[in-house]
Amino acid sequence: MSQLKNLKKEWKAIMSCMGCGDCGYAIRPAVGRYLTCPVKEAMEEEGFEIYFSRGRMNVLKSILEGQIPLSKELAEWVYQCSECGNCTEVCHMSQNPYIVLPTCNWIDHVKVWEALRKDLIEAGFAPLDRHNDLIKYMNDDKKKNPYGEERNKKFEWIKEFPEIKDKGELMFFGGCTMPLRQVDTLRSMMKILRAANKEIAMTNEELCCGSIALRIGDEKSISAVIKQNIELFKEKGAKTLFTACAGCYRTWKKDYPELLGEELPFEVKHITEILIELLNNNQIPFKEIEQEDVKVTYHDPCHLGRHMNFYDIPREVISKIPGINLIEMKRTRNNAWCCGAGGGVKSQFPDLAIKISEERINEAIEAGALILTTSCPFCIGNLSDAYEKMDDSIKESIKVVDIIDLIASKL
Amino acid sequence: MSDIYHKLEKIVSDNYISKDIYVRHAYSRNVDVILQGIPDIVIRPRDAQEISEILKIANEENIAVIPRGAGICEFGGSKPIGNNGIVLDLKRMNNILNLDEENLIVTVEAGISWGKLNEYLCQFGLYTGCMGPGSGMSASIGGGISHHSVGGGGCAKYGACTNQLVSLEVVLPTGEIIETGSQANKYSKFPFNRFGNGPDFAGLFCGDNGIFGVKTKVSLQVFPKPKFAEYKTYLMPRKSAETAAQIMTDIRRCGIDVYDAMFIPDVVIAVGSQQGLFPLWDHIKKKRGIFFYTIEANSEIELLEKVKYLDEIISNTKSEYLGSEISDGNIAKWHYKEQGHWQFYHNLWGMFPSMQALSAECFCPINSFPKILRDIDQWDVEHNEDMQKIFNITKIRPISGSGPVALIDGNNVEITSGFVTFWGYYDNEFHKIIEETNLKLWKSLLERVIKHGTQWYMMGEFLSRFMVDIGAYSEEFYNLMKSIKKNLDPNMILSRGKFNFWGEK
Repeated sequence: MSQLKNLKKEWKAIMSCMGCGDCGYAIRPAVGRYLTCPVKEAMEEEGFEIYFSRGRMNVLKSILEGQIPLSKELAEWVYQCSECGNCTEVCHMSQNPYIVLPTCNWIDHVKVWEALRKDLIEAGFAPLDRHNDLIKYMNDDKKKNPYGEERNKKFEWIKEFPEIKDKGELMFFGGCTMPLRQVDTLRSMMKILRAANKEIAMTNEELCCGSIALRIGDEKSISAVIKQNIELFKEKGAKTLFTACAGCYRTWKKDYPELLGEELPFEVKHITEILIELLNNNQIPFKEIEQEDVKVTYHDPCHLGRHMNFYDIPREVISKIPGINLIEMKRTRNNAWCCGAGGGVKSQFPDLAIKISEERINEAIEAGALILTTSCPFCIGNLSDAYEKMDDSIKESIKVVDIIDLIASKL
Repeated sequence: MSDIYHKLEKIVSDNYISKDIYVRHAYSRNVDVILQGIPDIVIRPRDAQEISEILKIANEENIAVIPRGAGICEFGGSKPIGNNGIVLDLKRMNNILNLDEENLIVTVEAGISWGKLNEYLCQFGLYTGCMGPGSGMSASIGGGISHHSVGGGGCAKYGACTNQLVSLEVVLPTGEIIETGSQANKYSKFPFNRFGNGPDFAGLFCGDNGIFGVKTKVSLQVFPKPKFAEYKTYLMPRKSAETAAQIMTDIRRCGIDVYDAMFIPDVVIAVGSQQGLFPLWDHIKKKRGIFFYTIEANSEIELLEKVKYLDEIISNTKSEYLGSEISDGNIAKWHYKEQGHWQFYHNLWGMFPSMQALSAECFCPINSFPKILRDIDQWDVEHNEDMQKIFNITKIRPISGSGPVALIDGNNVEITSGFVTFWGYYDNEFHKIIEETNLKLWKSLLERVIKHGTQWYMMGEFLSRFMVDIGAYSEEFYNLMKSIKKNLDPNMILSRGKFNFWGEK
């Protein structure tokens, strides 16, 4: 039973699941709730209850009671979850501040799934194959990123921008996904910051934040990284660290302080917080636009929205871009449908991830949007992969664009 | 078992059947802290034909089959009794088959939820009237029919889930597929009436708790949703339950078609407020019972007239109107406008970690419920010693009492009663004493409430057998039910064990 060290810490959450099944089936249009679990819905008619929270909680009750063991087979089920946290949003939730339905106080599903993943790893039943590769890359001194690229490749783009200093009060944390997979968006970011005369600093010594390892449940792999990263930015004089990656943002802002048990010595911000300051101060010189407003919809990344309650600022940013009419999808903010990439799904179950993103793209089209934007490179990557596989008619209807590129295109 | 598995696999194909240990445990529980039954096999059939073939094999092999909608039975009704059998997960069958807009009848597959169906209907300005059980956001239409469920909104005006039933398609335990009501006439092109062409066979399956057949297709009357509604909430005076009962009786006597009328007892308000569950009532000094109603109308004038009548009834009771907004304490507005009716069952569930209800939900006449509530309070006092056994471990005492008392069709109410308690697995240890005490207390409370002459709708494993065990059924009723069961299901395949109808093993 020592195998269940982490899961036992979550016994209150597990035993508080009353089994109502709203995490699988809830539809409550009055509060914008249209189903909950992207994985279960992607499984369509094969959606056995093991694919969503209630079924998994029933399994965990049986595990805690000693009826069934952890196993490799269980890991295969468990990792088919993007840890989007939508189940927490529907779990005995009144959706009104004046009425509290109490079970919601005790269950943070993502914490439960991560505890289970930690126990699976500690018992040797996980990581799964592809996740194992990611962790190996991250622990490899020549790589230190989950994409398996050479370590220095992450920083090549900086050479194009000599104005980026090595140290300063406002420091950018580049992360891995944008520099290695979406470098044009970083160029867009610099275009905006240059136009706004905003100075930033960055260091080529930064290490992967470790988000992927944490979400997979491999806390050990990043324990050293956390302290190194914090010390590094502290030495560089950071008063504010900002990132354009929703996953890095959650990890820095929420996980690091929780794991360390103390506040960070500097403030952590998301790029949209920097952008809104520039927009509010009229520091971004937009081109004059004469054509009709374009309908744009915003996809809430789970790591920003549900995980960090960060909904308003990206919308404020979009609303201030000239020539844009921000519209909402049917499922938005805390009810937003996940893109399907998180929780290690993208790497281990890529087809599942893409299927979930297809649903989100179709939802944006149904809303009448011509542009689907978001503020997370992981969402952009998965939505773009899905987009590429969809019919030409879809590509004629909508484009998937990072919020940074959207702004840069108007300069 | 592997032979049976392969036979079943041929029917549904391998994507829709599982014997994986984790899948089986995922389907092993419902909504209570005691009952568990692990199936051998879980199947997600596509249609009535597949279910028919599955049932024929189950008969050949003498293996129990348990139909399961959304799995929200509070008495263990949609999991096996004992560790065996096949669970039929009917949630794959969740399509809307036809909306007859002219005749206002919708036909759906039985696994669809009340939430999904009503989301569809609202595009046409329609709704199901009775919005299903309190868990209707997820609960299946088939489950609502199998239980005569109430509580998800609209029950005072439209009655239970079964009141609007027009026709059923049912797979009988031996595999025959029948349609009821107007569809008994083979020349009828679409369902339009439940009664006639002989006995009300749909009624046979209403509230059967899944023992007489597997519901696969349901036709329901639907209604235009009125454009106008008012919703008001009141703080009750002393003797709040008696006052609420009087208001409900007066409403019925006046013939006003309230959509919902509910009473929340003092103990729920007091305890819930202490625990911060009701910020909307923080400003109320004396935490007594709450009454609220919702009324619908097709015009503003009609609405004003109805509200005038209701105001007159309530003004005679020294009840205090709490204001129009949710922040003023108007829970009725949340209940109706924000579809809180699908979130509003036992208010004290989950008040502390791992605290859940062992229910005693039943129907009774309006004028009986205050006495029953008082007796549940008395029962609680009498069972303090047992409650203390649980307290000694959890440091929190179980709480008895009722959630909302809801006016339903006719002069009846639903009492959402029971007690909230804890799982036997508490603080990472299994406490046999908690489980044994829970079981003892649950039986004791149910027996006490049964002896008030109440009527049970959702019965599942536990209550259906308990009624038999304590000899609460009239002999004639039970024998008739048993003889019907034997005729329809000679091997006692379907929901084996409910009502103590066991098959030969």
